[in-house]
Amino acid sequence: MARMTLSGIKKSFGTVDVLHGIDLEIADKEFIVFVGPSGCGKSTLLRLIAGLDTISGGEFRIEDRPMNEVAPSRRGIAMVFQSYALYPHMDVYENMAFGVRLMGLDRSEIDKRIDEASKMLKLDPLLKRKPRELSGGQRQRVAIGRALVRKPKVLLLDEPLSNLDAALRSDVRLEIARLHREIGGTTIYVTHDQVEAMTLADRIVVMNNGRVEQFGSPRELYERPANTFVATFIGSPRMALLDVARDGDSLGLAGSGSLKLPRLPGSEERELVLGVRPDALSVNTDTSAAGFRGTVVYTEYLGENTYVYVRLGDGTLISVRGSAGVDLRPDTPVVVGVAPEAVHYFSRSTRERLAA
Amino acid sequence: MPGSPLLARRLWITALIVPPLAFVALFVVYPIISAFAYAFFQWHGLARGEFVGFANFYKVLFTQPYADWTANAFLHNVLVFFALMVLQNGVGFLLAYCLWRELPGAAFHRVAVFLPVVLSTIIVGFLWKLFLHPLFGVVNISLRGTGLGGLAQPWLGQDTTALWALIIANAWHMVGFPTLVFLAGMQRIPGEILDAVRMETESEWVKISKVVWPLVAPSATVVFTLLFVGSFNWFELPYIMAGVDGSPHKATDVLGLYFYRTAFGDQSGSGQDFGAGSALAVLIFLFIAIVAGFITFRLRAREIQI
Repeated sequence: MARMTLSGIKKSFGTVDVLHGIDLEIADKEFIVFVGPSGCGKSTLLRLIAGLDTISGGEFRIEDRPMNEVAPSRRGIAMVFQSYALYPHMDVYENMAFGVRLMGLDRSEIDKRIDEASKMLKLDPLLKRKPRELSGGQRQRVAIGRALVRKPKVLLLDEPLSNLDAALRSDVRLEIARLHREIGGTTIYVTHDQVEAMTLADRIVVMNNGRVEQFGSPRELYERPANTFVATFIGSPRMALLDVARDGDSLGLAGSGSLKLPRLPGSEERELVLGVRPDALSVNTDTSAAGFRGTVVYTEYLGENTYVYVRLGDGTLISVRGSAGVDLRPDTPVVVGVAPEAVHYFSRSTRERLAA
Repeated sequence: MPGSPLLARRLWITALIVPPLAFVALFVVYPIISAFAYAFFQWHGLARGEFVGFANFYKVLFTQPYADWTANAFLHNVLVFFALMVLQNGVGFLLAYCLWRELPGAAFHRVAVFLPVVLSTIIVGFLWKLFLHPLFGVVNISLRGTGLGGLAQPWLGQDTTALWALIIANAWHMVGFPTLVFLAGMQRIPGEILDAVRMETESEWVKISKVVWPLVAPSATVVFTLLFVGSFNWFELPYIMAGVDGSPHKATDVLGLYFYRTAFGDQSGSGQDFGAGSALAVLIFLFIAIVAGFITFRLRAREIQI
């Protein structure tokens, strides 16, 4: 059982404020991913939860027990570090046994747990090896094993895949998802990779500049991004954001004409941001069709489909997903059509989502 | 072929190597070999007499009063070595740990700890003689000033405290060196490894003994070896602070002083025995070379790659 509550968590290093009041309510057994660009404070927040850095303001509780002043080793938390941080002078067995010995468990229990973890992570043939004799993927598994033998209430992973090569990354990602299901503790995973976030998380915390931009399930973030930051951060290629002006029930884009769309937001604001993902856009060479006028910049052929990059009248470059057969020369004039059911509206001033 | 770049390069390398090689041969290798040779002859002042085989060695090791003097000086060196191992290397390690963990004032102390190392031994010797002066030395004055006047002693003047006073002066002088080496070793430990330990224990002792020390141990090899060589070659500081006789009553006598006295005579210039002195020099040299070689060899084998 490990429900976690963060209320108003702040962190500053000297005069620099890194986190500006983070509020999160994390349920037991959830797989939570902190995602955001580098420098957004996600690793700092993880280190505060681990207890490796001190919290400058606010309160952190596990199961209603305040944790601000509790030493890292007494929080029931285990952590897997980005560099794995295995003890170089100990073999794999000793690396895993070190922490549990300090917990005062007896030998048979320690051996049982290590046996269990090494079977689960396929480490049994490596127990007598030193970390330098292991490959990156093996070190990674040892680091996870070392965390698991402690049977932590909360498992923290700090960019665990960033030191692995691309082929290994998706394997380990599946492995981590499987481990979370089997062990069933609360897991917090930090990454800057939105694909990892989307595939692993029950809920994602999107962070930017020391603030939480949105906290929700991958589907919520993708389908109902709370603001333009989340809208462009989640999804690849990124969502196009168009600065449009509302005129009755149609939206005008400077230099590209205007487009009638149903269900405009209820707000009275005239200046809007229209967000559309590449798969809700289409290109049409018939310039009399409905949509925004633009010219093709280049096309990217990716096998099953093609991305067409179009420069619109106001200078915005957007990507449009087309079928594999699309082949347009640069400078071809086109009309970009918008699927009306898949658009997002944001306020131009607050960048926040506007309800339809 | 004259003028060939390869030949020119070889000449250039030869020209760079020969002078230092000749210097080392003349002033290091030759004296060591001749000391070996001198040790096998009888000497009359500085005039070489007849070949006597191992008689000089036998004399310094097994005949009185030399045997007692040798044993006395050697045991003092052993004591100095172990005491400095704790007071210089041990304290150096703890200081390095405190500096590494950035305890308050670390920036100032990083400099302060190393500063005495750059002072000449002569200066340190006279400085500590003044510190330890029985009447107006800063040590006794401080003791009296804080109501501990009962502890004030003639530190350098009595058998029980003189050697320890020298040891402490030496530790004060040199503690910055092991500190620096250990600190460099600690700074090579990745920060995440320390974080990983902190996730598992809050005991500083476990952190130091199970993780920091094993990872720093490689840098200890050089510190241990140099301390060993330095302790058994110890000469300048006792010479300056206690004189060539190892006063009082040979309480501070060490092999370096004893050898010097035996070979070149004591303060009155009497008792000069070049043969016995050379025999002592050879014994000291062999002892240091063999043990230092052994330490280096054994500790190297335990080194760990981070």
